Amino acid sequence: MNQHTVKSYGDELNQLTAIVARMGGLAEAQVADAIESVARRDVALARAVVERDARLDTLHSDIEKKAIRLIALRQPVASDLRKTLSAMKLAVDLERTGDLARNISKRALILADGEPMLPLTRSIERMGKLVSNRLRDVLDAYTASDVDRAMGVWTSDDEVDEHYNSLFRELLTYMMGDPRTITACTHLLFMAKNLERIGDHATNIAETIHYEITGGDMIGERPRWTPTPSDSDVMAVDDPLRPQES
Amino acid sequence: MPDASNPSPVAPSPGSRLWTAGASGGLAVLILLALAVYDPEHAPPLLAGALLVAISTWMVARQRPVPGQPEAAPVADNRPDTRAEGQATLLEEVFETVTDPMMVVRGGEPDDMAGRRILLANRAARDLLRIPREGAILVSALRDPGLLEAVDEALFGGVSRETDFDSGGVQARHWRAVTRPLPGSEAQTLALVMLRDETDVRRMELMRVDFLANASHELRTPLASLSGFIETLKGHAREDSVARDRFLDIMAAQAERMTRLVADLLSLSRIELNEHVPPSGHLDLSRATADVVDALSVLTRDYGVQIVVDAPDEAVRIKGERDEIVQVIQNLIDNAIKYSPRDGRIEVEIRSGLTPAAAAAARMPGAARLPLLTPDRDDGLTYAAVTVRDHGPGLSREHLPRLTERFYRVEGQKSGGDRPGTGLGLAIVKHIVNRHRGGLLVESLPGEGAAFTAFFPLSKRRAVTEPLTV
Repeated sequence: MNQHTVKSYGDELNQLTAIVARMGGLAEAQVADAIESVARRDVALARAVVERDARLDTLHSDIEKKAIRLIALRQPVASDLRKTLSAMKLAVDLERTGDLARNISKRALILADGEPMLPLTRSIERMGKLVSNRLRDVLDAYTASDVDRAMGVWTSDDEVDEHYNSLFRELLTYMMGDPRTITACTHLLFMAKNLERIGDHATNIAETIHYEITGGDMIGERPRWTPTPSDSDVMAVDDPLRPQES
Repeated sequence: MPDASNPSPVAPSPGSRLWTAGASGGLAVLILLALAVYDPEHAPPLLAGALLVAISTWMVARQRPVPGQPEAAPVADNRPDTRAEGQATLLEEVFETVTDPMMVVRGGEPDDMAGRRILLANRAARDLLRIPREGAILVSALRDPGLLEAVDEALFGGVSRETDFDSGGVQARHWRAVTRPLPGSEAQTLALVMLRDETDVRRMELMRVDFLANASHELRTPLASLSGFIETLKGHAREDSVARDRFLDIMAAQAERMTRLVADLLSLSRIELNEHVPPSGHLDLSRATADVVDALSVLTRDYGVQIVVDAPDEAVRIKGERDEIVQVIQNLIDNAIKYSPRDGRIEVEIRSGLTPAAAAAARMPGAARLPLLTPDRDDGLTYAAVTVRDHGPGLSREHLPRLTERFYRVEGQKSGGDRPGTGLGLAIVKHIVNRHRGGLLVESLPGEGAAFTAFFPLSKRRAVTEPLTV
């Protein structure tokens, strides 16, 4: 650890990371609770998630103010500057994550009025668990300053994409089978999209952590094992209603 | 961040008994000797006294280093001091040894998030949160907002609370946290955080609910068909011996399926219940695979498929319960047999000494690939993998994420013809592999076949200086 001659400077930097960690914990809980509110059709929990989002916004502006103050008064350089900048970047990603979680909960409130759609909400739950785990991993990487862990999250983003594509087809099958489910399925589709976006924010955070610690960019493209089917492919799904011969 | 204002209670005090006893004994001997010199008349008794004092001082000094020994009367005045000292180390020992994670948290300014630090953490807490004994920032170790709020309330409001939180991760754990204010000073407030593992209770609850839901739902169909046949047999099929035999065959098959279903559900519940408990045994993965292949030889002959095993010559020792690992391999090969064409070929490959990335690397070039389970990072581990590859119809990629779901069936695919599965095989595989802190991977190319890879940590942790071979 590098020591600062002015003790309060070091304290201020520590404080900034601590607030980011706290905000991360809050965003993590928001995502987990949002998914739970969908899976359990829990209206009270969904409302709580929507209400709690304001606290993320407060923390976001708090981090921004503290970071700007630090830059203005201390003129940080090198790793201190990167630390300050990444705190700001992380705050933006986490705030967006919170918004997406709130969005999911809002839709959960609408879905709770209708019929339960168990197999579909279970698929959302599975995808949600995957995304939550990625968020947790990347925040662990942040608090532990662990580049390898962050890289691990960064390289495995296509797993979320696979889940999203699979869910997309599943929803399509449902909607074609019973047009009355279209409203509910559309909400579920947006939820899946929101989860996928949360996964993207986790990837962004991983990139920011890499930058904060090493000062460099991630090198090269994210590895993709196989090309994900483009949207036109997805649209060209075989009609699932047609009896399958094989 | 060690605290200078609070000296440790176990530090040696300057007024220790050793010094007092030695000094006062020496002083007494000197005085007696001086008296003997001044007054030679009474010298013999005085010298005898000096000798006596010297001997007793020496004995007291000799007794000193043995802790916990009953002390002689002359040093009785020093007793309370040593007892407090002994108790402090004892308390410290107890704090260290308690299996529940415990932490003392120090609060700084209420608005200074980095000021809340962990003043002391016992061994269980250090292992769980991977923090040093002293000085970790609280939010870096525990991020759960509910818990942080409870800690704040204990620190600044003097309120005791109980909160629940999940640790997340592949083997998620459920914790109950108790927060209590501790007597501190004006300058620094203190709080105690105790965590209790309630995973067992929670899992038991979930298992009961899941089991009932699954069992009642999945047994309904075969039961309905059974009662339908019974009705027919009692009615117009009563005299028709051909139809009766056929119906009885179907009923026997249904009953057998129900038995298998209940057995699978029970075994899944049992594994789920133990999922967070690491396995204790060790076994040889190659041997286990060979045993499974032998046991399945009757089935492979019936189906006319051939199993080719490619294993390293030396033993592949992994950490695991033998029965469970056998079940994993058996379920994977069983599936491969079911989906193999007649005279098909199934390749089983065992590899050892792999990094997690190498274990999860693609085995089928050009195929869609999806990790179904990825273990938590642990740098000290190397893995052994078993890959089961069939040349059946394969799966299209949109089915891959749902494969380990209970009762999930790939639509339009017949599952094993006359020997339908329960739809729980891969779910069981996933939970067993997770219990073993391993990973699971599927690759598939429609028309070409599918490959499943399960990998498990090797028995031996890799030391930094040690070469990778086992």
